[in-house]
Amino acid sequence: MSKPEPLTHDVIVVGAGLAGSWAAMIASQQGVKDVAVLSKVHPLRSHSGAAQGGIAAALGNTRPVPSTGAEGPLEQVPEGAEPSDSLESHIFDTIKGSDWLGDQDAIEIMINDAPRVIYEYEHMGCVFSRTPDGRVNQRRFGGHSAPRACFAADWTGHVLLHTVHEQALRHGVKFYSEWYCMDLIVEGNICRGVVAMNILTGEIHTIRAKAVMFGTGGYGRAFKITSNAHANTGDGVAIAYNAGVPLMDMEFVQFHPTGLYKHGILMSEACRGEGGYLLNSKGERFMERYAKSKMELAPRDLVSRSEQQEINEGRGGEADHDAIYLDLRHLGREKILQRLPQVRELAIDFVGTDPIDQLVPIQPTAHYSMGGIPCDVNGQVIADAQGTPVVGFYAAGECACISVHGANRLGTNSLLEASVFGRRSGFALAEFIKGGAKLYPIAGDPAERNRQRIRSRMDNPGKESIDKIADELKTTMTINCGVFRTGEKLQIAMQDIKRLEERFAHAPIRDKSSRFNTDVLGALETEHLLDFSEVIVAGAIARTECRGAHWRTDHPARDDQNWLKHTLAHPQGEGEGPQLDYKPVNINYEKYPPQERKY
Amino acid sequence: MPDSQPTTATVRIQRFNPDNDKKPYMQDFTVPLTADTTILDALHTIKAELDGSLTFSRSCRHAICGSCAMNVNGRNLLVCKTPLTRVLDGKGRVAIKPLSYLPIIKDLVVDRTSFWAQYERVKPWLIPPDNMPEKEFRISPEEVEAIHNAETCIMCGACYSSCQVIAMTKEYIGPHALLKAFLRVLDPRDAAPGERLADLSGEDGPYRCHTIFNCIDACPKNLNPTQAIETLRKLAQKRLAVEEARVERQKTLALPVSKT
Repeated sequence: MSKPEPLTHDVIVVGAGLAGSWAAMIASQQGVKDVAVLSKVHPLRSHSGAAQGGIAAALGNTRPVPSTGAEGPLEQVPEGAEPSDSLESHIFDTIKGSDWLGDQDAIEIMINDAPRVIYEYEHMGCVFSRTPDGRVNQRRFGGHSAPRACFAADWTGHVLLHTVHEQALRHGVKFYSEWYCMDLIVEGNICRGVVAMNILTGEIHTIRAKAVMFGTGGYGRAFKITSNAHANTGDGVAIAYNAGVPLMDMEFVQFHPTGLYKHGILMSEACRGEGGYLLNSKGERFMERYAKSKMELAPRDLVSRSEQQEINEGRGGEADHDAIYLDLRHLGREKILQRLPQVRELAIDFVGTDPIDQLVPIQPTAHYSMGGIPCDVNGQVIADAQGTPVVGFYAAGECACISVHGANRLGTNSLLEASVFGRRSGFALAEFIKGGAKLYPIAGDPAERNRQRIRSRMDNPGKESIDKIADELKTTMTINCGVFRTGEKLQIAMQDIKRLEERFAHAPIRDKSSRFNTDVLGALETEHLLDFSEVIVAGAIARTECRGAHWRTDHPARDDQNWLKHTLAHPQGEGEGPQLDYKPVNINYEKYPPQERKY
Repeated sequence: MPDSQPTTATVRIQRFNPDNDKKPYMQDFTVPLTADTTILDALHTIKAELDGSLTFSRSCRHAICGSCAMNVNGRNLLVCKTPLTRVLDGKGRVAIKPLSYLPIIKDLVVDRTSFWAQYERVKPWLIPPDNMPEKEFRISPEEVEAIHNAETCIMCGACYSSCQVIAMTKEYIGPHALLKAFLRVLDPRDAAPGERLADLSGEDGPYRCHTIFNCIDACPKNLNPTQAIETLRKLAQKRLAVEEARVERQKTLALPVSKT
């Protein structure tokens, strides 16, 4: 194989979802001439497009019809009427949703930026659903105390993604479509570029850059039942970790309450935002027992646990008694067709039930990664609890941990996070480049090192199957590191991971060709799954408390005295687990002191 | 599933690696069959257990990312949302090929370069007016209704590779990009509908459509590119009126929509 010349750019963005596309678009708009985006799938196939229900901002465009109570039908707020929502309320809801693990300075920034970001989307052509007087329409969502989810029917992420991609093209961003980033080059705390494979040819290139930004998405594919795309293998998280960057709060994985039974495919929270019920096999609206005031619109961690408890106590449905039912029948045909057209089709296509007149079987599904690459509110990645920057390395979106979601994210805050912090990273990148950033030399030949990595796995004489290893990993993660955790189960998961890592050493790549080799991608992705799953489990074993999505039935209470802090997992040598360190949470004790979290 | 259904299926797949093979050939695989096995599940089973070199694209596996459009028994569809049982013939067989009229990269993966070039050619981005309001532009639910279907296109290419005009020439803009152009022309916020209609007036634009309706049949999202193309034709004939109406509409774009 000949050695291609190293490619060079001012800025390399990895990932073309909302975070990456915003960053690239803004950096380009701000005058950085040479911005390139690298994506392992075509940019419009990024997983941001799968988000359904909405994006949060306290615009106050709708309110319950007066005198119908808090749960009443929504109407547009008349011009000049009392505001129906406030930034303050959105901030508090997010802090409470995070079980006080979210950094409050970062949360304030995200929520204050939210209205601006929605209006920018709208000005860029996003086709939002509207109120009768033409404002952006808003619906209810779990854990939010006002209707603040801006939406486009139930394909909100799709229209946002298309809008930003189009504008990035308009501003001259270069896209490397179907290129797979496989290594990050960091030496002496300075980021110098990446190594990436052109999937079409199989050629591996070193790409030098003055700055690298990761918007590589979440790590939900470490679980068997998941709403995540096949592509969501947490590559960026694992690549950063393998380059020496710590990972933060990885043990916090959100399980969404309404994944289609056995498939895990998302049925948007908008189903419940529009008034849908959750029923057990006896037909009871069981949320009454767990969250009397918020009912089905309690936050996701609480609803998923409630479902799992119903199932564990024998009130689950279907043949295996492990399903819960989503009931939309009372919403009526018209509302379902207008507001929830996509989820209706998904229910018909995948479980064969039409929500207009049938119950939809569902179950909790791994959905969102609260943890990730630690960084500040401008995307700057940090190397330790003291906040030492990794110069030239930025991250935003689901792969990043700022942390605005803490121990549990509220629905519609993820599209917001990806947009706000992608945008802020774009400004920060532009400032960094214009401030005289330079290309740093790279020692050795990282591309050749990675070619060797693939070659040796192609030549591996072992008999293990990469697919089987990935499948067993996902199974143990779902069973032993899921909605309810115990120290004992987590230890089993850790032993399984160690055993699978050993087997992985004897698992060959079977497709020996260079052109569009998805077998190579599968091997690299599985390696990444194993790398960060160990970090998830190590963090979960250490954290002996219940907080947000991390629920230890053997330590059944939140423990602020010992655990009101972020986990920071530092990589050690090859074959060794992470070294766990901790970082204080930013809390404004006067304004938002920790409270008991009840709904 | 009725008891008479077989418990395995024969999946015939067109294989081709241009680096090694002179021409495409069909290969049969036997996979287990249950009521909820999708075609994509079958492809994954084959790759994991029978032939690791089988190559196909997929990502979201729920019909929103547009990666997995393929030709199944002669029809274009998304394999992720299609149950295998629905496409088997009386002998439990199905034939899967890559999308037609596009160069094959490997097995079921095609080269969509011309598809994306046409998408970029229509300037898919909004060209906004010069003056931005402090908050959102005001658009009525009816105005949104007219364009929101077009915005749900997932760019899978099922329409493009079923189009008889595309079969003859890649100069044709194609149903996917014309649907996007339709969206922009009709969006009250777009400041350049006249310019767009002028750009589309050449021989590669809406006039080239033969109205065979293959795109409608092929679309996995039940969209109607033909109707959008017909609308573009009509609007192109009154381009100046469209421009004037847009200028007029944009004068009130920052004001509440009133029912008059």
